[in-house]
Amino acid sequence: MNDAQGQISHPRPEPGDVGLVEPHDYVCRERFEFDSGQHLDEFTLRYETYGRLNAARDNGIMVLHALSGDHHCAGIHTINDRKPGWWDNLIGPGKAVDTTKFFVICSNVLGGCQGSTGPQSLNPATGRPYGVEFPFVTIRDMVRAQKRLCDHLGLTALQGVIGGSMGGMQALQWGIEYPDFVRRVVAMATTARESAQGIAFNEVGRQAIMQDPEWNRGDYGRSGGPRVGLAIARMMAHITYLSDASMDRKFGRRRKSAPLSGSYSFDVQFEVESYLKHQGETFINRFDANSYLYITRAIDHFDLPASYGSLEKAFDAMKAEALVVGFTSDWLFPPQQNREIALALLRSGKRATYAQLNTDLGHDSFLLESPQLYDLIRDFFERDFT
Amino acid sequence: MSKLQVKRTVDMQILGDWVEKSSRVLDLGCGRGVLLDYLVHTKQVFGVGVDMDVAKVAACVRRGLSAYQGDMMDFMRAFPEGHFDLVVCSRTLEELQSPSAVISEALRVGRSVAVGFVNHGFWKNRLEVFLSGRKPRNDVYTTPWHASRPANPVSIADFEHFCETERIRIVRRVHLRGDWRRPCRALPNLLAGYALYDLAR
Repeated sequence: MNDAQGQISHPRPEPGDVGLVEPHDYVCRERFEFDSGQHLDEFTLRYETYGRLNAARDNGIMVLHALSGDHHCAGIHTINDRKPGWWDNLIGPGKAVDTTKFFVICSNVLGGCQGSTGPQSLNPATGRPYGVEFPFVTIRDMVRAQKRLCDHLGLTALQGVIGGSMGGMQALQWGIEYPDFVRRVVAMATTARESAQGIAFNEVGRQAIMQDPEWNRGDYGRSGGPRVGLAIARMMAHITYLSDASMDRKFGRRRKSAPLSGSYSFDVQFEVESYLKHQGETFINRFDANSYLYITRAIDHFDLPASYGSLEKAFDAMKAEALVVGFTSDWLFPPQQNREIALALLRSGKRATYAQLNTDLGHDSFLLESPQLYDLIRDFFERDFT
Repeated sequence: MSKLQVKRTVDMQILGDWVEKSSRVLDLGCGRGVLLDYLVHTKQVFGVGVDMDVAKVAACVRRGLSAYQGDMMDFMRAFPEGHFDLVVCSRTLEELQSPSAVISEALRVGRSVAVGFVNHGFWKNRLEVFLSGRKPRNDVYTTPWHASRPANPVSIADFEHFCETERIRIVRRVHLRGDWRRPCRALPNLLAGYALYDLAR
């Protein structure tokens, strides 16, 4: 506690950007069995890669996205893009996940709606979208599909996997499922067992979708669909990603210009209302309602202790070193649930670290621009890596 | 070698002798992981450190050590009896909220517990307090009271009395003189600057 050795500082070049990137499609024509017992004869994963694969083909880092994320985690698709990929602050040349050293892979999950096979894909048997005929997906299914992509790319090992929230669940599952393939696991703002509170929020979102008459039992074609339900699901979920403090700082009680109908009306008055409305509206243009149902269900079913007998047993086969990061203001996957992961790993004799960052941004803190977080991740992945 | 460097390495060599090869070691208040790193490299121990400070845990990650950020009591409660071969509590004793509870919990999760501390009963400290009537300031106590962390200094006599009343078995003890290197063989509570104990139930 009192060996105050000075920080070692490495001179590092100014971090750069990944730049223009393009998505690719991997079509797997080998039958895929889901945990549910259902199967697909073939599926597609849309993915992006940044950096170069080394000669040993073992410098891959698999980035795992959360519920509403996708394969586009860094760089831009066109020079007119307003925003880069969702984890651009973390991934790039000289950044925490350094693309001059690592070959970064990120794919849209199986069951997703950003190009990978999911409920809105066409069912070859009927020529119509699968809808709720799509097989039920688990976190383990997502990971097994990603492994096929790794094999297709000819990877011999992954230097690491990294994800927050549902991405953290996949990261843990990767370590468990492929102990000889993954060397390091970073799981952030996540849990080994979806809590009752988490399931509850997911269920409210699903009900909002399914109670929308436009849902039509999942059969709504490629346009339209339960837009109102999906927007409400997103508005509600978005609140769980923030915190009281961050919302207060961002919006407070600030008002939009007074509506024509006056203050005593139910039109949008507060900035926070207009923000959530905007979140809901942009979401329906990029996300499929059935995918939302499937992916939230996959999260609900994630329960490592139940699937393996105990959390220690779940981690028994794992060989990778783990870094688990919790965030103080995350009330969706609170620090305690992250701590439990690290403790169980240590109890089963694995190398694991738990670090906790003091932030007030809630669950979304894992996407935070934090030099402290960058250093942790960089040092964890790069140590002894040449 | 400056006193500061000696300070850092003092219990390394002794603990290095005490630790069995490839054993499971828990370091309470591991700091930047200097001691654990040494034990991993010399004795191939499976080590875990606990510290409250994220910067310290980050330094452990840089060294490739396992570390847990959080409260040491919470940490130990999550482990079964005898999980660790050795629990180390080196120069953290005087900063603990409840030293007795920590040592007792450490004796539960560890088959043995090594405690190292600065002997507050060392004659220079006594003399300084006696002559100046103020908090001692020297190589060991480097900061004035208003710039120090809360500390609960302990002497060799205090500690041995504690072990006796708590019925903790002292398996080994090492007392070092004011230079923290040469062994101190007589009147340790007066003449020893540093003490290390190997405890068991």
